[in-house]
Amino acid sequence: MLRLALALLLSAAGLASGAELKPWEGGATPAFAVEDLKGQSHELADYKGKVVLVNFWATWCEPCRAEMPSIDRLRNSLKGKPFEVLAVNMAEPLSRIEKFSAAMPLGFPLMRDRDGSVGKTWKAKLLPASYLIGRDGRIHYVAYGELDWSSEPVRKRVNELLQ
Amino acid sequence: MNRRNFLKSTTAVAVAQALPLHGFAAEGWRTFETVTRVEVKDSFGVARAWVPLPLEMDTSWQKAIGNSWSGNAKTAEVKHDGKYGISMLYAEWSDKEMNPVIEVTSRFMTLDRATDFSRQDKSIDLSAADRKFFTAPTELIPTDGIVRKMALDITKGAKGDVEKSRAIYEWIVDNTFRDPKTKGCGVGDVKSLIESGNLGGKCADLNALYVGLSRSIGIPARDVYGVRVAPSNYGYKSLGAGTPNVSKAQHCRAEFFAQGYGWVAVDPADVRKVVLEEPPGNLPIKDEKVVAARKRLFGSWEMNWLAYNMGHDVKLPNATKAPKLPYLMYINAEADGELRDQMEPDSVRYTITAREVTV
Repeated sequence: MLRLALALLLSAAGLASGAELKPWEGGATPAFAVEDLKGQSHELADYKGKVVLVNFWATWCEPCRAEMPSIDRLRNSLKGKPFEVLAVNMAEPLSRIEKFSAAMPLGFPLMRDRDGSVGKTWKAKLLPASYLIGRDGRIHYVAYGELDWSSEPVRKRVNELLQ
Repeated sequence: MNRRNFLKSTTAVAVAQALPLHGFAAEGWRTFETVTRVEVKDSFGVARAWVPLPLEMDTSWQKAIGNSWSGNAKTAEVKHDGKYGISMLYAEWSDKEMNPVIEVTSRFMTLDRATDFSRQDKSIDLSAADRKFFTAPTELIPTDGIVRKMALDITKGAKGDVEKSRAIYEWIVDNTFRDPKTKGCGVGDVKSLIESGNLGGKCADLNALYVGLSRSIGIPARDVYGVRVAPSNYGYKSLGAGTPNVSKAQHCRAEFFAQGYGWVAVDPADVRKVVLEEPPGNLPIKDEKVVAARKRLFGSWEMNWLAYNMGHDVKLPNATKAPKLPYLMYINAEADGELRDQMEPDSVRYTITAREVTV
């Protein structure tokens, strides 16, 4: 009975949103200027020489929220290596992002794309939209949808970019 | 979904529910969320679905914020048709998935729009290429022969694009009717509509007639396909979504372009909807509610409605059998290589729910 209840719970719990990391074929890296929750501006050039995961997300986006812990695990596993996460919220009020941040503490900084214009330039139409930037400043991989960032295939790609 | 994902998701949902609802609203803008759930029932073989997404282009009356999806699709991605830039979420399931399901969440903002005909800015114009594009025929909207002859008759004596457009609008309101028996929103076969002499239909018919007549005399015009997402704030029960379930609330509108004013919103089909459906129903054309709607719907739209796209002759990407659809306003799906009937929600089994996200 308990097993049946658990099975029902699992099937009703929600739906996965499996994405895969695909090679980027969208051309040059678009302009990127966002601000953190304290209002300080960040540009991609500030992270030159590092591998950067640019992740566009929103609090209303269930798969965005679901994948965040895996981003945190990836980041923790790469401590001491030149790897940064820029998690950019799409066009939500600061107060909402701050409340989200308090409710779900994460080890990486949350950024703001106030009016969603940066996300539109990056063609982040389907959230979460994640872009892996190599140390050369170019986008190498993209994923639209939820991804387990701590999975072995993804770690392998990130480690390749770190070489 | 495995246990790790289940725990991860439920934690995330709990976090989200603890948050207050906000809109990112500038003056007058409203934020909405739609959730479209699609189930391709009785699927044997590869299944596919195409879900229209909010208009990608930012306008002065609608801005897309973003979309997300969840489900058991093998792949899901945003795709476009080639000609009109229609955006849709394309999902595909393997033949091993017996119960294909996907949920697409979209957020967008809208603002009521109205053209002030007392203020003209002569610098506002269309490029020659756009003018050509928006006066071209489509497969179901020819711009010659009987259509053009009718448009010339209707606009006889009218001067300028605004006056001519108004003449066409008034003619449609006076001479067509909303036919409740029309399936879905209609097909929009303008030539057949005129030739049959039976000028009944729904929005995709009556507003396509408007677009065809306009285009045939050189006035740029376009259909805009979408779905109602909220009740009307102007007291019209028939012009709003009565419940959060908007699965059958699809509605298309129309625009024409007038030099000096830009794209102008019109909706003669909704005037006919008020006539037929506004309680107590079958209102006379001179009823004050009809008169008010008629006045309002030349030049303005209440934005309790989501615009998907402005496309015609849509070819669904990756479809096994790919007949051109006259438009993309419904959820489409195929299984076993057969396209399901897009105008029958039970054939594809989809639900669309909408809610306003308030500050």
